[in-house]
Amino acid sequence: MTAPRGPAPLILQVPSRTEFLAVVRDVTRSWAMVAGFDRGDADQIALAVDEAVTNVIEHAYGGATDEVVELRYEDRGDDLRVDVVDHGRTVDPKTVPRVDLDRYASERRKGGLGVHLMGKIMDSVTFRRSGRRNVCCLVRRKPDGAPDAP
Amino acid sequence: MSELQVDSRELEGVTLLYPKGFVNAHTVRLFESEIQRALDEQRYRLVVNCSELTYIASAGLGALMGVIEEVRHHGGDIRLADLNETVRNIFEILGFHHLYRIFPSEVEAILSFREEGEGGGSMG
Repeated sequence: MTAPRGPAPLILQVPSRTEFLAVVRDVTRSWAMVAGFDRGDADQIALAVDEAVTNVIEHAYGGATDEVVELRYEDRGDDLRVDVVDHGRTVDPKTVPRVDLDRYASERRKGGLGVHLMGKIMDSVTFRRSGRRNVCCLVRRKPDGAPDAP
Repeated sequence: MSELQVDSRELEGVTLLYPKGFVNAHTVRLFESEIQRALDEQRYRLVVNCSELTYIASAGLGALMGVIEEVRHHGGDIRLADLNETVRNIFEILGFHHLYRIFPSEVEAILSFREEGEGGGSMG
């Protein structure tokens, strides 16, 4: 007998265009709130996913607007997981310089904050190559008292 | 409603920016251009009134960080006012509240420049 599982994953495909970031944000926030996060936490999770999709559009796809970004949302009971999937160029996250805010401004940098923000918001952020796809996996534990997956 | 609109006005030598909507990778160029316009006019005392800013992603934070050295080099500053909880949380997560002065209201942000005297920025 298998352990009870959460609801079926929600799968969303969006064009690789920044105007769809608002859609991603709205879906992510709603999904997180259904899973038991309060509005503030849901907003943060939506921001982390926004950043992940932005990275895909800008770096993996190099700004190409005719590609697809796939998001797979899964409520695993104790946590939520979002896989952000693309089939663009593999960007090694280790090549993204770490953000040192004390030096960031003096270096006149603008990039790198997104990955930094994702790491601050989520409990886990991992990148892997799966076949011809890149998968960025974001996980956030549910707060104590949040309902398990129905 | 458009995704982002940025109005601006001058008051007591301070340039007030009013982003309305959200700042992310899609809308950041407009946000950047409004900040840059102030700098091009040598206005280095800026207050971003965030009362109608629904959220800001790293692209928008990068826009602020990208010019802050220049602004402070000219004796000015970028100060923020009236942040909603979502935006304030983002600032705190990143530690931006240590880098930028944040005020409950626009008036307090403007007055903070006045209290510093005539030392920096051009008077509009």
